[in-house]
Amino acid sequence: MSTPTVTTTAPADRPADDSTPPRRTPRRGESGPLARLASHGILTVASLIALFPVAWLVFLSLGPDKDDYLRPGAIWGKMTLDNYSFVLQNTSFFDWLKSSLIVSLGTTVIGVMVAATTGYAVSRMRFPGYKKFMWVLLLTQMFPVAVLMVPMYQILSDLQLVDSYLGLILVYCTTAVPYCAWLMKGYFDTIPFEIDEAGRVDGLTPFGTFARLILPLAKPGLAVAAFYSFITAFGEVAFATTFMLDDEKYTLAVGLQSFVSEHDAQRNLMAATAVLIAIPVSAFFYLVQKNLVTGLTAGGTKG
Amino acid sequence: MTVAIDRATGKRRGDRAPRPGPGSRLKRGYQKYWYAYAMIAPVALVLGVIVLYPLAYGFYLTLTDADSLNSARTIGVNEIEATYKFIGIDNYADILWGETAYDRFWSKFIWTIVWTAACVALHYGIGLGLALLLNQKLRGRTLYRLVLILPWAVPTFVTVFGWRFMLADAGIINSALDFLGLPTPAWLEDSFWQRFAAIMVNTWCGVPFMMISLLGGLQSIDASLYEAAEMDGATAWQRFRHVTLPGLRSVSSTVVLLGIIWTFNQFAVIFLLFGNTAPDAQILVTWAYQLGFGQQPREFAESAAYGMLLLAILVVFTSFYRRWLNRNEQQLAI
Amino acid sequence: MRRGIAATALVASLALAATACGGDSDSGDKAGGPVTITWWDTSNATNEAPTYQALVKEFEAANKDIKVKFVNVPFDQAQNKFDTAAGSKGAPDVLRSEVGWTPAFAKKGFFLPLDGTEALAEQDKFKSNLLEQAKYEGKTYGVPFTTDTLAFVYNKELFEKAGVEAPKTWDDLKKAAATVKDKTGVDGYWGSTAGYYAQPFLYGEGTDMVDADAKKVTVKSPEAEKAYGTWLSLFKGKGLHKADVTADAYAHIQDAFVNGKVASIIQGPWEITNFYKGSAFKDKNNLGIATVPAGSTGKAGAPTGGHNLSVYAGSTKEKQEAALKFVNFMTSAKAQETIALKNSTLPTRDDAYTDKVKADPGIAGYQTVLSAAQPRPALPEYSSLWGPMDDELPQIAGGKESLDKGLGDAETAIAKLVPDFSK
Repeated sequence: MSTPTVTTTAPADRPADDSTPPRRTPRRGESGPLARLASHGILTVASLIALFPVAWLVFLSLGPDKDDYLRPGAIWGKMTLDNYSFVLQNTSFFDWLKSSLIVSLGTTVIGVMVAATTGYAVSRMRFPGYKKFMWVLLLTQMFPVAVLMVPMYQILSDLQLVDSYLGLILVYCTTAVPYCAWLMKGYFDTIPFEIDEAGRVDGLTPFGTFARLILPLAKPGLAVAAFYSFITAFGEVAFATTFMLDDEKYTLAVGLQSFVSEHDAQRNLMAATAVLIAIPVSAFFYLVQKNLVTGLTAGGTKG
Repeated sequence: MTVAIDRATGKRRGDRAPRPGPGSRLKRGYQKYWYAYAMIAPVALVLGVIVLYPLAYGFYLTLTDADSLNSARTIGVNEIEATYKFIGIDNYADILWGETAYDRFWSKFIWTIVWTAACVALHYGIGLGLALLLNQKLRGRTLYRLVLILPWAVPTFVTVFGWRFMLADAGIINSALDFLGLPTPAWLEDSFWQRFAAIMVNTWCGVPFMMISLLGGLQSIDASLYEAAEMDGATAWQRFRHVTLPGLRSVSSTVVLLGIIWTFNQFAVIFLLFGNTAPDAQILVTWAYQLGFGQQPREFAESAAYGMLLLAILVVFTSFYRRWLNRNEQQLAI
Repeated sequence: MRRGIAATALVASLALAATACGGDSDSGDKAGGPVTITWWDTSNATNEAPTYQALVKEFEAANKDIKVKFVNVPFDQAQNKFDTAAGSKGAPDVLRSEVGWTPAFAKKGFFLPLDGTEALAEQDKFKSNLLEQAKYEGKTYGVPFTTDTLAFVYNKELFEKAGVEAPKTWDDLKKAAATVKDKTGVDGYWGSTAGYYAQPFLYGEGTDMVDADAKKVTVKSPEAEKAYGTWLSLFKGKGLHKADVTADAYAHIQDAFVNGKVASIIQGPWEITNFYKGSAFKDKNNLGIATVPAGSTGKAGAPTGGHNLSVYAGSTKEKQEAALKFVNFMTSAKAQETIALKNSTLPTRDDAYTDKVKADPGIAGYQTVLSAAQPRPALPEYSSLWGPMDDELPQIAGGKESLDKGLGDAETAIAKLVPDFSK
């Protein structure tokens, strides 16, 4: 079993070995030119596969008529940005975007804070019942919560939380927090408790130790939790559809459905909206991606 | 592992002081742990109210014949009482060995198992392969990483929407296959190809998470182990088998478990690809949703019963999994 | 780091503040102030909703003490959403309810009976079969708002070239299609594999998927077998396009028809505007509309669709009164005329079929076939019955299973939806 490490650096670079013979043997971490070419090749193919569906959507969104998706070849001749201008000007796209951002960022902030405190509590203070607690957190991920939509709606409406951003944020937190708490717990496990001790010696309360000493060290773990919470909240459809009643509060997920009516579907506008949705997510992701790998390592998913 | 140390107090466990009586133990426990309870209070409260209470209520409903026509409802100032009857385990009996049991439950159960196994195997295999490739010092590594995470970053309802276009009979995939002279299957209609397409799309969506997790795991394997192995004359394959794989063990066990749980309950991909059509490609969770929301009257009791069965299956599986893991490892969060 | 925490706290409080702002959804009805009612519209947000919104503004201008909050709800989710909200809190005061939803919601007590209220003040002006359809156990629960039915639409030019007329029976259609293929080279008819579009065949044999009065599942009765047999036979033969069982079949059929690649299909009036966009119907008069062909009983029938405006039974008295007034306005002849002109939907009352409306040959044509529209039975589960049909019919049409087996499976699935019906 490997020892958990806190180091989050790139694969160890071997110290330059001055005494290597003139024949250039590949060092570990590097490969021969042929292997490198093969790696690049495979990675390029994989990247193209990863990109293609979104790129295809971009292509389809340039076709002005709603039936253009049936004849994609014809789009070359009539590419236009009309769909985008229509969506941005004539629909409530910005309302949807605002709602989605409020809900997603709210979930991220609340979810990460709660997950971090929970993970810390379990990691540091093995309070009685902590094992059962972690087990319950795992359990909630096993049940398809969408099936319980009706009782949840009734509970939320009793709490006056239906058709409110806070209600939706809380529901998303119930999905995001269990995994993030687990993640944070594993991450905190790798932070040596000498730091806690130092904090106690300095006279800080456990809360203080947590906030001032531990949290800054856990940035990569926090980044993963933030990212996961964000994309969970951003991409959720079923609850957003049911719990948001006012059409000014529709999220992007619901807004995209508004182009499909009983008999008609404006697929070209949907494609444009879909591309516009992919942009803020990619932006947010770009901001946190540096910490993603390091955050998922070092005990993050090792438990 | 290391010596078990009580992290809160730094005392070594095993130092036996005389055990105090239960009353003062409780009091001391409360004093020692109230910070902890305070910190987990928000989670416990929200989960309890929003998830566990409906779960308990849902379980109660599975013992009745509740549907949308006979449930309690409040219409303005009128309160109409529920008129569903308590029928005990009839729902479960009907699902598991009733007249249409094979069609509605067992066939979907088998397909769900196949679906989960195939998807997780592909996620892990491809994810590991890509992670190994990305672990090298290649130029443009960051760019590759960015692009390869895109399927996870962009919401499923956008990407699956794109896949639907691509998989349509006259879509780009079939056009390309046609161009190469290969057979062009009916991805969204033929039941075998529907399943194939579902697995394909879900793999595409799920590989980035595995890849990144495993990449992190790879990066935390001690470099000196590799050096030692190389000095012992191990080939690349042997190094992989004896250093990399064991080193990844705890990351792997966690992500595989998570992958299984998430894939088993993966609602979005199949629902967005097929909606309420494609009865052969429905897994248990989408079928439960269809019963509860895709028809009139909405069968609350039945869909909740399917949900409970899903939960039971996963709980049993996880227990076995944990036991199997604990034979070899000790300190795991799960 | 401290800045980081401050920034986090700032964002958190902003988010919470935003949620608090978003939280007050209940519009305060100040005593003596205007009453606000909410209308959930399920129409197409891009094409149809703007017309409704303009009418709402007109209504508000004429009734200064009523404000109407217009909420567009995506159609696919609307039924579930309303079902959930109506039994709890958050339901709208007025709902544009599809005709198939009305019995279920009426049965649950969500809708206000409208007999004798302001909403039905001009009751006798509406088409009687539509009013019949909005009834449940003798009371009316919706005012017909738009209606539609299926008709036999054809390309007049191609038919003339082939020297055939709109067929009166399904057998005539087979002959006509063959002739069209001979004389013009394009297929004469392309049938659909959707359950809804197979209804004319059932009505032509005098049967339906279930017999609601007798509480019997009739999808495998001899008449139904005959009906589906006829339906199946229209996929094989000269001039009859083979069945398209792909997910985009509807779009393919439409595409072919509007571009003159097939001479006739069965379709509803919601496609009128799209017909005119096609190359084959640049001249609107080229669109031929006739009643669906009759079956062996000599009768022709097509399913009725459309929407009613219903009022929520749980609203306060004030809001209900305002809602009734609003429903009356939206279903008045003038409003119906405006909607028909702008959205090309069919009005539900004869006095709305003014000359301006009838100037659109599509609308005029569909008006003539409305008499063959069969009202739906007042069975809450009825619209779900097409689910099993949509599963089985493409398999049958694609040759994957026999008609017998397919109908048998459908019968089992339907029996699960209506457990108290006999087989």
